[in-house]
Amino acid sequence: MNGLVTVLSAGASRTPPFIEELGRMMLPAPGQEILAYLAFAFYAGLIAAGGLAAVLARNLVRAMLGLVVTFLGVAGMYLLMASPFMAFMQLLIYIGAISVLIFFAIMLVRNTSSGEEMNLPGLCQAGGALVSAAAAAALCGPVIALNAGRLNQPGPPGETPLAELGEGLLSYYVAPLELISIVLLVAMAGGVLLAWDQRYRGRQ
Amino acid sequence: MDISLLNVIKLLLALLAIIVLLVLNSVVMVWLERKAAGFVQRRPGPYVVGPHGLLQTVADSVKLLAKQIVLPGSSDRLLFLSAPVLAMFPMFLIFLVIPYGPWLTGLEVNLGLLLILAFTGLETLAVIAGGWASNNKYSLIGAARCVSQSVAYEIPLILALLALAFMCGSLDLTVITEAQSGWVWRWNIFRQPLAFFIFVITCFGETNRAPFDLPEGESELTGGYHTEYSGMGFALFFMAEYTSMMLVSFLAAVLFFGGSNGPFINGFWWTFLKMGLFMTFMIWVRWTFPRVRFDQLLNINWKWLLPLGLLNLWVTAVVLKLF
Repeated sequence: MNGLVTVLSAGASRTPPFIEELGRMMLPAPGQEILAYLAFAFYAGLIAAGGLAAVLARNLVRAMLGLVVTFLGVAGMYLLMASPFMAFMQLLIYIGAISVLIFFAIMLVRNTSSGEEMNLPGLCQAGGALVSAAAAAALCGPVIALNAGRLNQPGPPGETPLAELGEGLLSYYVAPLELISIVLLVAMAGGVLLAWDQRYRGRQ
Repeated sequence: MDISLLNVIKLLLALLAIIVLLVLNSVVMVWLERKAAGFVQRRPGPYVVGPHGLLQTVADSVKLLAKQIVLPGSSDRLLFLSAPVLAMFPMFLIFLVIPYGPWLTGLEVNLGLLLILAFTGLETLAVIAGGWASNNKYSLIGAARCVSQSVAYEIPLILALLALAFMCGSLDLTVITEAQSGWVWRWNIFRQPLAFFIFVITCFGETNRAPFDLPEGESELTGGYHTEYSGMGFALFFMAEYTSMMLVSFLAAVLFFGGSNGPFINGFWWTFLKMGLFMTFMIWVRWTFPRVRFDQLLNINWKWLLPLGLLNLWVTAVVLKLF
């Protein structure tokens, strides 16, 4: 029995020379860079297309699916930035939970598939677009301005180890983390309040 | 980044093997399921086409391939057609990261468990998109049930798997397998029995299998979310169900039963054997238990599994800290 095990494991670990040869045939660096640019363009396209679909769709569920496509694109961007943990968390939380809950909310509120939920007057739409653009600029502008000097660093970014990420969340970034959970608590309290009100009215 | 020719060839071969595996799995498991159902209900099951009805599923597949896809009049065409594809597509990626054997993994990633959890969420999305796009009240009710069920059951599932990740100190499936090497009592089922209990129950909830197959619910919803689907659309949803069954069986084998570690001569055959046994168990459960009511389904989850999962996580953390 032991002899058989040795033979099997030896067969598994010994690689034939032509396979080693194939392992040494690397894609040259410019090719890798072109691939990275192509991936970036693809994900950026996904984000833009999903965002446009979310804003322009006349139907709430289609708008939600546009949002999902945007989330997918953002997850891809995280992968490109060498943070797979963030990418998978993005998929798990934003696509697996949040969009599904948004869908649930849409179905509870209204379930016509004919759409036509979007019937705001033109002025409101323009105002809304302006406010959201201003919010995005206010959030992203300072970050870009502060890190502008580091944009042209050569080489791909390094991957942060998971343990370091966890330690950071529980030491340096502990205050923002707790604040986020307070926001969630407020949302939950709001949900309970709404449900309470409806139940009370239903009894009357 | 190391994009060598060898890695690309390996990835393509793995994808090809996975496609073959998924198709074969559906064909064999549908036959086995119908045979098991027949056995449980004291009837022969399929027996006309081929010896013991072995070719019945092949004939059914050809029939489904040739059938017309009927589009409901007022459906959302784009979503209706893309939902079955979305249900099947993430599976190919998920099966790449499962360590079938010591050297048999399509793509080695150190966050394998997280990747699997992340991409299974897309299947829920496919079900709700399909159910909504059909513009049929049964489909919509099925989709709504699927949403509340899978969101609810994901929480205890993640809590149970988190306890395992705590114990092994990694989300890498290969590391978790290696931690169970040695002898049988080092398997996680003996070290985390409560996590395994929660995992088994949530498996049925996440794969929408009886006794938790409320999104389909033939007796009250005709076909649930796939009422309006015909031809290949239906076949893809059907395949997705059997594929997710195989996925949770592989997960059970790798996470709780030691993966490729067997009592003797370790190798990928143990993973496949354990997977097959777990799938047979799921079929057995389906034909033994009646479907639960929806409020019962959610009560089991929120009132029992969630506190149990938290307790298990807490005990694991305390034990790890103390010893």
